[in-house]
Amino acid sequence: MSNIHFKTATDYIRRAPFQALSAVFILSLTFFVATLVSILVYSSSKVISYFETRPQVIAFLKSDAKEEEVATLQHKFSQDIRIKDVKYVSREEALSIYKKATSDNPLLGELVSPSSFPASLEFSASDLSFAQEIIDEVKKEEIVDSVGFTAAIGGESSLKDVVGRLRTITSYVRIGGGVFTGILALTSFFVLLITISMRIATRREEVEILNLIGATKKFIRSPIILEALIYSVVGVILGWSLAFIGILYSAPGVVSYFGDIPVLPKDSLTLLTLFGIILVSELLLGVVLSLSGTFLAISRVKKMR
Amino acid sequence: MDKTSPALVKFEGVTKKFGNVTALEKNSFEVAKGEFVFITGPSGSGKTTILKLILGEIIPSAGVIHVDGVNVGLLKPNDLPLFRQKIGTVFQDFKILNERTVRENVEVALAVIGLPTDSWEDRVKNVLKLVGLTGQIDLFPSQLSGGELQRVSLARALVVNPKILLADEPTGNLDWDTSDEIMGLFEKINKEGKTIIMATHNKEIVKKLKKRIIHIENGKIE
Repeated sequence: MSNIHFKTATDYIRRAPFQALSAVFILSLTFFVATLVSILVYSSSKVISYFETRPQVIAFLKSDAKEEEVATLQHKFSQDIRIKDVKYVSREEALSIYKKATSDNPLLGELVSPSSFPASLEFSASDLSFAQEIIDEVKKEEIVDSVGFTAAIGGESSLKDVVGRLRTITSYVRIGGGVFTGILALTSFFVLLITISMRIATRREEVEILNLIGATKKFIRSPIILEALIYSVVGVILGWSLAFIGILYSAPGVVSYFGDIPVLPKDSLTLLTLFGIILVSELLLGVVLSLSGTFLAISRVKKMR
Repeated sequence: MDKTSPALVKFEGVTKKFGNVTALEKNSFEVAKGEFVFITGPSGSGKTTILKLILGEIIPSAGVIHVDGVNVGLLKPNDLPLFRQKIGTVFQDFKILNERTVRENVEVALAVIGLPTDSWEDRVKNVLKLVGLTGQIDLFPSQLSGGELQRVSLARALVVNPKILLADEPTGNLDWDTSDEIMGLFEKINKEGKTIIMATHNKEIVKKLKKRIIHIENGKIE
């Protein structure tokens, strides 16, 4: 039974190929942009998460600080819900980190000893907005010599600026991407509405015959709905595939540019899962678009009669 | 559905008005199962209105119409498709799907009644053999003559094994010889037990077939 509806739907598409092409083209463009925006939103949230979870506050300890005092302080802050993690870095570990960072110039490493570096406590905030409060509180501790922070982009002078800039960038990506995708989705909806309305108008005689031989509304509407679904599914698959290929192609360059910041998943399974989720979401959105466009077109034609 | 009428089609005091124009006025008649009835009369007398009322395309302004025990005027819009599936229709302008082959035009009627596709082949071949179109099964309407188009229309109506066959001027667009062939087919179908109600103003055909005539003038049966 569904074969006859599918055949009818594909016949309509074949008879008016330019209408079909315009519908598929605009839907492909919409879902291409939607896929890119989804990846951008994912990447920006990962960037924020990266800055939020890496050690942002480093408390350099006085050289006379005793181990018990350090342990007490570490325990005290690890109980704080604003702090995700507190890590103790000894003088030896600090030297090792320094040597690793200056491995391209071994001479720099040879000139220093563990005594050159103070031991420190590294704090990761559960949310970056807590960092300033943590800095202020850690500064008050007796065994703490000085406090610094590591998260800084664009030369901001305070941690508040870092947080503000990251949140602004992410908001722009989300709002701008959402609005652009929304406009394209609305355009797709209207193109589908016009295409289906024209299809219904050209089928008027056929609908009259089908009514006379006892066809139900479902029977008459099925090929029209199927046609819209074909446009949506083809549009989603084309748009998604183009974005997927583009991102896969540019991934190595992007990943190496951002270094440790995980803008894209590094293992294939997570990357495929991410794209799989986007594909399923877009297919659902495509189905909603085509069904709402079709039913609106049908209701408009009924009103005109 | 109200099952009260023993006749297959029963009109009781049926009036149909279109605005101020009275197309039919207080008409009553019955058509028994297996009967072949002509509805005759000049153009505009109300022949097509009677067929449309039987098919449920329009509802009577007054009176009651029973078709196979169903009060057509009380049918809900959702019940109409199932009701129409019991009635075969043949029209003067054929009403064929031009983008479909002969086979597909017949198959669409089977799809409408929801018959499983595995039983389509035999049904289609049998009905096309009956109307003499076996050789044209894969042709498109543009490749057929007027007589052949009417045969396709007849095949589509018959393939679902309807209880009644309604024909509205089926020979109106055909020459005499072709009309004669088509009427031969109708007669053959009627002899097999099918009830046929045919609206026509072709007196030659009516004279030749010698069937019951319901003559209508100015919306009134005489």
